[in-house]
Amino acid sequence: MPKLGELTGPTQRLALVGLAKNTGKTVALAALLRELARGGRRVGVTSVGRDGEERDAIDARIEKPRVELAAGSLVATTDGLLRASGLPYELLEDAGVRTPLGRVVVARLRCAGTIEVAGPSAGGDVRAVADTMLAHGAEQVLIDGAIDRRAASSPAVSDGMVMATGAILDAELEQVVAQTRDAVELMRLPPASEQQAVRERLQALRAGMPGESLLVSEILEGRALPHGFVLTAEAQEVAGQLDASPDAGWLLVAGALPERLLLALLPALRRRSRELTVVVSDPTRVFLRKRGPAWFARQGVHLRALSGTELKALTVNPVAPQSHRFDSRELRAALARALPGLAICDVLHPDYVDCEAASAARAGETR
Amino acid sequence: MHEVNPQAVRPYADHLDDGLVQLSFTLPVAYSLAARRAALELAAQMGFEEPEVVHYEQLTEGYTYFVMYGRCTQTVDFAALQDTGFDLEYMSEDEVEHFAQTHIGRPVVVVGASTGSDTHSVGIDAMLNLKGYHGHHGLEGYRCFETHNLGSQVPNSVLLAKAIDVGADAILVSQTVTQQNLHVHNLTELVEMVEAEGRRRQMILACGGPRVTDELAKELGYDAGFSKGTEPQHLATYIVRELAARAEAGAGRGSGPTSGPPSPAALA
Repeated sequence: MPKLGELTGPTQRLALVGLAKNTGKTVALAALLRELARGGRRVGVTSVGRDGEERDAIDARIEKPRVELAAGSLVATTDGLLRASGLPYELLEDAGVRTPLGRVVVARLRCAGTIEVAGPSAGGDVRAVADTMLAHGAEQVLIDGAIDRRAASSPAVSDGMVMATGAILDAELEQVVAQTRDAVELMRLPPASEQQAVRERLQALRAGMPGESLLVSEILEGRALPHGFVLTAEAQEVAGQLDASPDAGWLLVAGALPERLLLALLPALRRRSRELTVVVSDPTRVFLRKRGPAWFARQGVHLRALSGTELKALTVNPVAPQSHRFDSRELRAALARALPGLAICDVLHPDYVDCEAASAARAGETR
Repeated sequence: MHEVNPQAVRPYADHLDDGLVQLSFTLPVAYSLAARRAALELAAQMGFEEPEVVHYEQLTEGYTYFVMYGRCTQTVDFAALQDTGFDLEYMSEDEVEHFAQTHIGRPVVVVGASTGSDTHSVGIDAMLNLKGYHGHHGLEGYRCFETHNLGSQVPNSVLLAKAIDVGADAILVSQTVTQQNLHVHNLTELVEMVEAEGRRRQMILACGGPRVTDELAKELGYDAGFSKGTEPQHLATYIVRELAARAEAGAGRGSGPTSGPPSPAALA
């Protein structure tokens, strides 16, 4: 089984994103940190939520994994949590960000140890602290997610991502697989067109009219939609705009794309026997709840993205805390069938751990 | 008489540092001497020294209610917590008005709603409506705030569109968070939508609800969380201070992220 460290090797800013709480993001982070420490790589760590705490914030019965960092690691966390770790550190910068847990600073640890990590939440601030850590000598920055938040996996923030899924999504294994496949397909939305000229034209329209959502015709001319249309439009307004642009092939979305707009588009398109390609800046702008991109495609609404972040691996937690569990190999096999070509790891399973020990032994032999 | 040691604080009952705790609970067993022994054993397992049952009675058939005392031997380092910046001294309504006038100098726009399927709008109403809560005006009653209360069961995208439309400085959502993922998902979705619209740094996001702690607010991606016991002037204090701090940071920016604003604690 390939190792997370190898799979994510050259990625400078790596986002770890979960599909829900307790899918094992922090466990994957801890495994990755062990592997990188063994390889002697200097890492920087931040979290959009909070990591390494002893207890779950919603369900105190759930114990959380600790975050163990090697000496020399960089970290972006709050000043209070840094002091509470008891570890000696060198303060590098004040990130100028306030969180509910205090202000965020960037520091270098002088000793190895465990620490709670709570960095900035906003994408722009996450990118800024990641770049600060790179500038201070981190070879790779790991950005841990929180709950089901995906914003840190935007290409504006990170260069690659690892996704975490698990039994917590559903009591039925097939459902876990289906929901995971939908989420992976969303994060891997295809480019806006197969033709480079069309892609470039759409990019130019996007860049030329920032903040505007546009209906784009077959001859690639854009017409701006009223502000708030994508966020709030109801069926009637959607129908009106489609009729005003009878040859529109693309909907170029400026910001967030909620599922309710897609659902409003379906009957209007069906009645007109039309299809539409809906283009977002990147997959983190799309908010689906019940259906995946494949389902919408079957209804004539094709989701596309101008850019994206490469999905390097999928990690699996076969255990739903305080509830049910699946057989790890069975779950991984089912996911592999649904998502061919994607590396899938359960970092706590003997399949992975033995291989971790074996690769450590190999590293020892070659030295 | 000795003094409080802030590095090792423990409960106080009759005298300093006696560590006495009163606890009450119900066991699903019949009222009996065996039930009393069970309660004593349980309290000992909880780590209480010298556990003592001071009262017990039958609650209903097969259930016994206990009131106990026990000595807690653990201590907590209050000194370390005190200087981590959690504390925010709250201003009165008049002080908020004055602060907003001198530091912001324009109406502060706040949009609030109970989002998703949550039908409870009590929290939002208490914070925003004139009637307010606990004898304190809601934000609507302040001169410095322009408030928009969208009510309950508001989809996140509709709330966000309104916030953009009125140029909101802050969005306030209330949601009863349970262990069901649905509620949590609703709260994270709003944060992610604001981010997707490219407006995360322009808007203060605050969430409130009976189980919202600072820790949970941080994980959800909010700038602040408000729980039981929050009064409108607490929220008002936070919003005007945070807005002023951001304005100051914005004015001072350009020299890089080192020119951060003071923390709420430092401002207090």
